[in-house]
Amino acid sequence: MSQSIVKIDNLVKRYGDNVAVDHFSLNIEEGEILGLLGPNGSGKTTTINCLLSLLSFDKGEIEIFGQEMSPVAYNIKSQIGVVMQNVAVINTLNVYENVDFFCGLYIKDKALRKQYVEEALDFTGLMEYKKYKPKNLSGGLLRRLNIACGIAHKPKLIIFDEPTVAVDPQSRNAILEGIKKMNKQGATIIYTSHYMEEVEALCSRVIIMDHGKNVANGTSAELKSTLINRESIRIGLPNKSPEILNGLKEINHVYKIKEDGDDVIIKCDGGEHNLVHVLSYLTDNNIPFGHVTTELPTLNDVFLEITGKELRD
Amino acid sequence: MFGRIFVYKLKEITRNRYNVGWNFIFPIVLATVFYLGFGNLIKDDPDNFSTIEAGYVNTVGDASPFEAVLTELSEGTNDQMAVLSIHRYNSKDEAIKAMNSGDISGIYLESEDGIETFVSKNGITATTLNQIVREYKNKKAIIETVAVEHPENLPTTISMVMDNISTVERYDFGTNTSPYIQYFFALIAMSSLFSSWISTDILEGICANMTEQGKRFECSPTNKLMAISAGILAALVLQSVTNAIVVIYVQEILKINFGAPLWNVLLLTTLGSALGVSAGVLIGSFIKNSHLLVVVPLCFTMTCSFCSGLMWHQVRQVIENNCPLLNRINPASLLVDSLFTLSTYGRTETYYRDVAIMCSMIVISLLVSAFLLRRRKYVSL
Repeated sequence: MSQSIVKIDNLVKRYGDNVAVDHFSLNIEEGEILGLLGPNGSGKTTTINCLLSLLSFDKGEIEIFGQEMSPVAYNIKSQIGVVMQNVAVINTLNVYENVDFFCGLYIKDKALRKQYVEEALDFTGLMEYKKYKPKNLSGGLLRRLNIACGIAHKPKLIIFDEPTVAVDPQSRNAILEGIKKMNKQGATIIYTSHYMEEVEALCSRVIIMDHGKNVANGTSAELKSTLINRESIRIGLPNKSPEILNGLKEINHVYKIKEDGDDVIIKCDGGEHNLVHVLSYLTDNNIPFGHVTTELPTLNDVFLEITGKELRD
Repeated sequence: MFGRIFVYKLKEITRNRYNVGWNFIFPIVLATVFYLGFGNLIKDDPDNFSTIEAGYVNTVGDASPFEAVLTELSEGTNDQMAVLSIHRYNSKDEAIKAMNSGDISGIYLESEDGIETFVSKNGITATTLNQIVREYKNKKAIIETVAVEHPENLPTTISMVMDNISTVERYDFGTNTSPYIQYFFALIAMSSLFSSWISTDILEGICANMTEQGKRFECSPTNKLMAISAGILAALVLQSVTNAIVVIYVQEILKINFGAPLWNVLLLTTLGSALGVSAGVLIGSFIKNSHLLVVVPLCFTMTCSFCSGLMWHQVRQVIENNCPLLNRINPASLLVDSLFTLSTYGRTETYYRDVAIMCSMIVISLLVSAFLLRRRKYVSL
């Protein structure tokens, strides 16, 4: 049976009248990669700051590794790695010194620390830049240094707070691959991001926060299964007579037909071979058609459906 | 852990070009500018204390006790220079001729009318020559009174009087009394207070409410006060070394004599560094805004430095006359005052008072800061 690594129970954090985190609960099992999603101001960072005991909170309980978390819970802190949203390195120290300095806050043994630092530099691909000052690194390398500083001490729980913001696709892929590797090596991971495709590709479970509350919790597939729309088929259709559109609508699982310029979008609420059924109908009735694409629902659709589509601050 | 943080903080602050610029290069440049401006006034200052060339004319003819005193003051000891160098002349005219030609700075004329002092110009030389006569007369009067009224106490009285033959000998005088030297002292005070920036920098790197590095630091299993102490020590070491280099540069390269033993000056500048560092820690423990953490130490340093006489050396005296309390609580004034007192008068009561106030300020600042930082278990992000 998996061990509970993080347990947040009924967490409430207020800033005056504003409730930043509203009775939020969470349980993370060992070996999970948990994606914490939410629009800006939804309470993700506040929750993480409370989790790390950087912030006090008004109500609730936080346990990490089965022990109550507090600012002086050094035995817990020694097993946590944090990769901040903003780059948190010392500009006057070079790459090696930065990793060594932050690793040294956790690992006292000099030989072990040297080994860990070198492994972290290897892991993030920074070995050849170890003498560089942060100001001489590109944005992607700087992000990788930020990660190396957070994970060099081989923590059991790693919190990534939007680590891929403003990172080029190559570096982003490298970072995501690295996170998967760390997870395979036994680390439990909390990952916050605005990039749904990253979360979908990476996380074994997703929690969506909005207005400080836990509004959805499950695997990516479970969350997508809550949507009505399960498949969208787009077809270039020159003839959009009512007979043809009504015929399409009568196909099993089709619940909506929408015209979009030269195309029609056929929305299905389930089923496994919707595209085959649609194409059979068109060919059987000698109805001419152009390009055909099909889209399965994404986490982005789930996110937008749950949190709404209006812009947030 | 303490040692590692100390070493890394030392690396961090010594590689910060702003620290190097403001705390090291700027004082050196300013010292050079001061030197070019009035370095010669200090070196050639007639008030610089050195053995005084004095003439002595005795028209009485008998062996005079005053002449014996002058002879004694002409003999230096191993650790102290002679106060006087006596040149004997047969007549007042001959002595005045020597004084006018610059061979001597003053004349003692002992005649039937008593002892008269002639000086070529006013200054510490004139004051010293007059003081010697005043003391001689006072003590002579004491001995004469005791001889008449309590003859049994005469040997003891003579012994006591001879033990303290003159004020000049009794006090451990410094050897530089130029008022312009205060500019260099104010410069060192300013440099010391600049270290308040270093300590606010240190706090920024350790406290989560100030920077991302601080946030990373507070997530680690490291005791914050221990880390801050290591950082403070690094700042103190750096500032003390910087101040020492400035002092040695002024004294050895620019050849401006501070008028006191180098170790004593360095001890005071180290105390000044501690004062600056602790002031920075206090500021950092009150203020959370990163912009204010630059502005406040800058305003604090410049205001204190101005009031200590960095721009006009008389300002400290003006404050002393009108609001002496300001001079007692201004760390820069205290440092300048202690250095000036040491340089001019030696380790007097004022010197010890200034040192005591500075030590108290350091202790109080650190205790208040520790209290504030310890109380802040959680941070306000």
